[in-house]
Amino acid sequence: MDQVQAAEKIAELQTMVDMSGTVNMEVFYWWCTALMVIIHAGFLAYEMGASRLKNALASGVKNILAFAFIIPTFFFFGWWIYLAMYNGFVPDFEAAAAGLPWSSNMGPNLTDNASGIFWGAFVLFAATTASVFSGAVIERIRMSAFIVLAIILGSGVWILAASWGWHPDGWLTTVWGFHDFGAAGAVHMVAGFFALGVTINLGARIGRFSKSGKPLVIAGHSVPMSIIGLMLIIVGFFGFLGGCIIYTPGGQWTTIFGTPTTLSAISFNTLMAFSGGIIGSYVITRQPFWMMSGALAGIISAAPGMDLYYPPLAFLVGIIGGVAAPLADKYITAKFKIDDAVGAFGVHGVGGLVGIVMLGVFSGFPNVAEGAPAISLLGQIKSALVMAALGFVPGFGLSFILAKFNALRVPPKAEEAGLDLVEVPLAAYPESVPASISANNSSKVSTKTTPSSGLTL
Amino acid sequence: MNASPITNWEGAQAYFMFADNPTMLTVILGLAVTVTVGTIIASYKHEQQTYIDYQ
Repeated sequence: MDQVQAAEKIAELQTMVDMSGTVNMEVFYWWCTALMVIIHAGFLAYEMGASRLKNALASGVKNILAFAFIIPTFFFFGWWIYLAMYNGFVPDFEAAAAGLPWSSNMGPNLTDNASGIFWGAFVLFAATTASVFSGAVIERIRMSAFIVLAIILGSGVWILAASWGWHPDGWLTTVWGFHDFGAAGAVHMVAGFFALGVTINLGARIGRFSKSGKPLVIAGHSVPMSIIGLMLIIVGFFGFLGGCIIYTPGGQWTTIFGTPTTLSAISFNTLMAFSGGIIGSYVITRQPFWMMSGALAGIISAAPGMDLYYPPLAFLVGIIGGVAAPLADKYITAKFKIDDAVGAFGVHGVGGLVGIVMLGVFSGFPNVAEGAPAISLLGQIKSALVMAALGFVPGFGLSFILAKFNALRVPPKAEEAGLDLVEVPLAAYPESVPASISANNSSKVSTKTTPSSGLTL
Repeated sequence: MNASPITNWEGAQAYFMFADNPTMLTVILGLAVTVTVGTIIASYKHEQQTYIDYQ
């Protein structure tokens, strides 16, 4: 073999290696995305189980529709926001051109193996934010209002937060040194605080508080369904956290901020924090619904530093998250009469806040973005405040406007009758007697049917 | 209707339907947006109808 032939052979092998790496990258994110769909199977079971029998299907419809509307709207404008807004409120039109819905990158393209697979993963992150919010407002929000709010959150607000604080050039990182490996800020804090803002205007479910203001328990119709749902969310989190790591063909893994890491690091700390969250919530509540919610809070609390923690420290941070979530939920319920039906604010809002601040406490790691300071407590606290405001202000403001137009909440009589009977032309358990019928005049109620709005099977 | 932007696969890049036809892309995108927004409006109207007996 002469030198020319050898050079040709090397070039050919190099092309094969490069293409193999590119395809492996696609395969990796494809399966992360598939695993993230399990998060939504989990949220679906979780919310339906936490709903009373008379609302079980309406809660399911709401959750499924959030997913359905996030996908096209994230195509229409969500991805563009991420690529454009990393500087703040001034878009970079040139950088975001590839995210326009008519761009040649936004469809089958043999020269672009990245856009679709990253867009898909980000859509699932977006749908996760909507599902987090969804649980807080079950059993009394209007479907149309929920869809609008879910779109604003999933295809607008969170992705703006991600552009600022979960992007290689996001200003929170380049100016304040913000670090948040697992998107505890952009996904969880933003969704949790958005839910808090909406629940303030939405009000509590009828019967959630006594006349004296004492919180009363509204039990869901299937606690086991909720607990299994929560475990499914945990399974999906392995896809979520896998999707947070950047696969560079031929090179070491990096975080989304460009700092080097490994999947091994994420494996250590995800499992240790998961365990800590369960133990923390068990100590406080002794019951499995909160133990599994605590598992989520534990992972979320360690998520900002999944790539950096010594595993036993991730375990301890997970315990703090597992303790903080139920306590925060109890506090806002008793003190402010807020009815967050599944504790979404405690788990995601407070869990995310704990995580971002805790990473600041154990900080000092350098960043790699040009001019970016090292990770610091002050930078983490300031960034956490930005995330909280980004979630709370739009959630509160938009729901306030919807409430003013009487478009946020279902009528009291519909809420009392149950939303399945009112809105859904299907029974959750057709061979059982719905609570709304057994509790009222069955002959009167059973003659009513939901107006058909399409094909009824 | 010929929806293909390519005549052969040699050197093909963006090859999705109407990739070379901005007018058709605009029409299809517009329809998709309209259906999305229209479904939300239809949902609101459906609610108004179902709530009549529960006011």
